[in-house]
Amino acid sequence: MDHVIEVEGLAKTFRPPFRTRKVEAVKSVTFAVEKGEVYGFLGPNGAGKTTTIKVLTGLIRPTAGKVAVLGGAPRDIGVRQRVGFLPEQPYFYDYLKPRELLDTFGRLFGMDRALRKRRIDELLELVGLTHARERRLRKFSKGMLQRVGIAQALLNDPELIILDEPMSGLDPIGRKEVSDLVASLKAEGKTIFFSSHILADIERLCDRVMIIDQGLMKAAGRLGELLAGGRQEKEVLVGGDKDVSGIAEKPGVVRVEAMGADATKIVCSGAGFEDVLRGLLDGGFSVVSVTDGRMSLESLIMDLAGQGAEPPTGEVAP
Amino acid sequence: MKNPVTASLGRMYAIMRNTFIEAYRNRAFVGLGIASVGLVVSSIALSRLAISDQASRVLVDFGLFSIALLEVVIAIVMGVILIFKEVDRKTFYLILPKPVRRSEVVAGKFGGLLLVLAVALLLMGLAWVLSLWSRGIDLQPDMFKALALVWMEAALITSVALFFSSFASPVLSGVFTFGVFLVGRSVIILDELLTAKKGLIVQNPVVQTIASFTVDVFPDLSVFNIGKEIIVGVPVGWDYVGGAGLYCAGYCLCFLALAMLIFRRRDFV
Ligand SMILES: Nc1ncnc2c1ncn2[C@@H]1O[C@H](COP(=O)(O)OP(=O)(O)O)[C@@H](O)[C@H]1O
Ligand SMILES: [Mg+2]
Repeated sequence: MDHVIEVEGLAKTFRPPFRTRKVEAVKSVTFAVEKGEVYGFLGPNGAGKTTTIKVLTGLIRPTAGKVAVLGGAPRDIGVRQRVGFLPEQPYFYDYLKPRELLDTFGRLFGMDRALRKRRIDELLELVGLTHARERRLRKFSKGMLQRVGIAQALLNDPELIILDEPMSGLDPIGRKEVSDLVASLKAEGKTIFFSSHILADIERLCDRVMIIDQGLMKAAGRLGELLAGGRQEKEVLVGGDKDVSGIAEKPGVVRVEAMGADATKIVCSGAGFEDVLRGLLDGGFSVVSVTDGRMSLESLIMDLAGQGAEPPTGEVAP
Repeated sequence: MKNPVTASLGRMYAIMRNTFIEAYRNRAFVGLGIASVGLVVSSIALSRLAISDQASRVLVDFGLFSIALLEVVIAIVMGVILIFKEVDRKTFYLILPKPVRRSEVVAGKFGGLLLVLAVALLLMGLAWVLSLWSRGIDLQPDMFKALALVWMEAALITSVALFFSSFASPVLSGVFTFGVFLVGRSVIILDELLTAKKGLIVQNPVVQTIASFTVDVFPDLSVFNIGKEIIVGVPVGWDYVGGAGLYCAGYCLCFLALAMLIFRRRDFV
């Protein structure tokens, strides 16, 4: 069996104490992650990503469904020895220094003193915190804490790395660094499972994605295929102040946006795009640029939902 | 592969170490140092107020009682917030997914608290012995046995606190644990009343059943208090201390096992 993560029919219902309403955080989720791939777990806030990840890491028990991580139970010590995990907005013992914190975790992984020291030095270097190794975590900024979180997730040189929203709260440089790190981990043959509510974070890195919304799996497969199946928009930027209203009537136009005083953006559907472009060129408009419109996660989910009750799965575990 | 037993001990040690460091860095010991100095000063002051032949009695009794009380307060306060804090601050999200059993986490936390209690006892015991010495009272080995017994009582109370905090809120756990402490200290009185020929307890069957159940189930904490023996000069053997240690260990194991059982089933959301 090559599946690194195998989830079948997962459901989790929370029953908050002293409240009658229960929360179905995850209703039905089925997917499988292959060895060596970067798997994106995509969904808006409150979709059920963190809940699913908490099941994968053994923090909570599923209400229904089967979960296997590296062929075993999430709570199995042997399994956990081979998994790294970065929680969403990680919290640390703030009275410790990064070196001490990583040392404690290293002990839990059963690493001996020499190995701990070597790994900690390597990782602090990798995440760029060598200069702050003797500072209490209490004094760390949010971005620095995220780096500590990444370092501890890699401490045991894990085969599988689970990252819950690793880029949220980071500046563009931080995002880029996380992306580069994920790419280099993939090159080392690691399997990476990471969640995000931002399409752009996922699309560059992931081999395959699973899209979840309101606790239900909406789609799974290659992101390119999923996007091709949906509405693919093009954006045409027109310069000058010539009136475009004649063009705007064409059926391929989705909407027209003024871009300042002397430019207009025309958003076209994939199918009607050529007709609109020809009209613009024949009409003597100055076409500045034509770009692939970036689809938002929300419109992707809407499109997928619009395709019928059956989730369009590129490839999915039975 | 490492031996699973040493691996497990190593993990418990890691948790214990961290628990101790947390107490140490949170300056819990600064407060304890102040409490110890207060203890010396107040017991010396008290002994000056007492009639001269009562002075040693006051110093021994009051000192031991205050140390025991402070130890129990530390045990309850730290015991009930230990797990709560990890959940509240979400630091458990980093510990529990590591290759460590939840029972090892509970055991490690317990061990860390025992260490904190031992250091606190050392501080306060030193202050106590100093106050005795300053009043010219001869030190006896039984005084050290008394301190060891105080530590056992605090250990037992810690396990009770951990047990309650595995399912109840810190405040409730604190109240319950303090209740167990009060009952535990009174069990001996209840026992005496039960063996009496007359009185409410033996005359009302319902009250009698409740009372004898309490005596049977609750730990008898008077086992850990040998203040009177020291004052009267009755020697207390190491075999007694050993027996009390076994009694303490038995209760600790029961409460910890229950705490682990509950803790293992919990969702950490
Ligand atoms: N402990 C909990 N008790 C009750 N509801 C919860 C709990 N945790 C999460 N939820 C709810 O479950 C849903 C999914 O949450 P979550 O998995 O955190 O989403 P995501 O990580 O995708 O943003 C949300 O509606 C959230 O409010
Ligand atoms: Mg989340």
